[in-house]
Amino acid sequence: MKKLAAPPLGLTLLAVGLVLYPLLFSDAFYRDIGVTFLLAAIAASAWNIVGGYAGQISVGHSMFFGIGAYTPVLFYTLWGWPPLVGIPVGILLSLALAAVIGLPTLRLSGHYFSMATIAVAELIRILVGTWNFVGAAIGLQGPARGRAWWDLTFRSELPYYYIFLVVLGIVLAVTATFESRRFGYYVRAIKAGERAAKSLGVPVHWTKMQALLLSAAFTSIAGSLYVVKTGFVDPGSGFGILVSVQMVIVAALGGAGTLYGPLLGALILIPLQTATNNWLGGGGSGLTFIIYGGIIVLIARFEPGGLSELWHRLLRKRWKRVDATA
Amino acid sequence: MPLLDAQNVSKAFGRFRAVADADFAVDQGEIIGLIGPNGAGKSTLFNCLAGDMVPNAGRIIFDGADVTRASAEAHARVGIGRTFQVPTTFEDMSVLDNVMVGAFLRHPHRDDAREQARRIVELTGLKPDQRARSLGTPGRKRLEIARVLATDPRLLLLDESLAGLTPGELQDAIALVRRLHEMGITIVIVEHIMEVIMTLTKRVVVFNQGHVIASGTPEEVVADERVIEAYLGRTGTPERGSKP
Repeated sequence: MKKLAAPPLGLTLLAVGLVLYPLLFSDAFYRDIGVTFLLAAIAASAWNIVGGYAGQISVGHSMFFGIGAYTPVLFYTLWGWPPLVGIPVGILLSLALAAVIGLPTLRLSGHYFSMATIAVAELIRILVGTWNFVGAAIGLQGPARGRAWWDLTFRSELPYYYIFLVVLGIVLAVTATFESRRFGYYVRAIKAGERAAKSLGVPVHWTKMQALLLSAAFTSIAGSLYVVKTGFVDPGSGFGILVSVQMVIVAALGGAGTLYGPLLGALILIPLQTATNNWLGGGGSGLTFIIYGGIIVLIARFEPGGLSELWHRLLRKRWKRVDATA
Repeated sequence: MPLLDAQNVSKAFGRFRAVADADFAVDQGEIIGLIGPNGAGKSTLFNCLAGDMVPNAGRIIFDGADVTRASAEAHARVGIGRTFQVPTTFEDMSVLDNVMVGAFLRHPHRDDAREQARRIVELTGLKPDQRARSLGTPGRKRLEIARVLATDPRLLLLDESLAGLTPGELQDAIALVRRLHEMGITIVIVEHIMEVIMTLTKRVVVFNQGHVIASGTPEEVVADERVIEAYLGRTGTPERGSKP
């Protein structure tokens, strides 16, 4: 029987830090930042599967996030069902939408997939914004007070924090598992060169499709978590372009196509966003767009591999220096 | 029955016929050279043989099965492997990981694929942990060969895999191709360096303007008037070892 390897020290410290954070910072404000950080990390990690690993840049992932957010509260509004029931239905709807978009567009090369995702996400946002059945521009509300635990409506931030942490753990575990298996090698090969990958027998279209489906499912879960936490969703917060852009930026800042890149990106971006919103009040929310734009320019110009790539480069330099002096 | 049989294969881009009624066969265990001036249609034919392009007319039969319209993935599955004129390595991956992508075709489990990849990397004389990005041209070309070898091909299409090498590297590469041939792999090699063609192949097919204009032993084709005319536009014999 194979022995299980001990987790690396960095990973252990990170896990312990994340578990202890809400206990060390019991103030609701800091706990809220923690929950927002985890949600951003989950959504960006989900995007990372198709955008980072497989290199299929979706700029419309809000469509899956929105479906995941709307379905539980729609079920609650229509029939009073607990949001928990709507979560798997949201996943199924997201999978169906991913298949409809992916089948024709993932066969094409270039930016067609990106353009298709933006177009569909915007279309859905406009449609939802004018459709009374799903609350039109006003949106939908979840249970104001939980009838039981399965309504996932809590007064404290603490249960949300740990639920989100478990989901993040699952997303990262799934990603780490595929990363070291055939699927992980295939997606990275596709990102590096589709033509070469095909010549080696990689089923390119099906592999991209699998990546998109997996990514859509986790993004849908992120949307559902968002709505159980806030208890409310409208077209902007569910399907808005900024939702998609944030996933891309968080993953790209930390390092797209790396396991912990999205975590690192969220760790920097979310406190920064919260700080600007608090310091500048309502006017600060506009600054978010400026920050995103600035980050895109900086990453594209100086560090396309994100901060994790920068970190690895610095480590390699240090090792070389140590080797040279030894 | 030949292993590969290209029957009147044609490929046109608009009104331009890059390959016109190409007709040739490759027997199991053969190593043949495909030569011709630049723009003769060799790479287009290679793309058709490897499933990268679908011919407009004609048929491609591999081991008795019609693969004319099959995808590049399907070609790899039946045992047709190829390299590219410009090496297309997976830059951010290590040499071993590059080769593992190929190995996964026949070995779906990671440990088996890694084992197969290690064997191939050793055979090709590469360093497993080196990043593909840090390799020079000879290393990249070698890595491409290693990667396709990991798919266990029965037919290997080498598209100028030995171009741009120094004399020393060229001899190493020739030795490697010989070893592959000795392993039982049938090889079709597109090459401009006549030394490679004269040293490695027993039969040469010459292409010009999309047509097969000559076929025979290397000595026969270099003396063929049509070949000389295609290369030089006048009568004369290309020197051994020269770049036509």
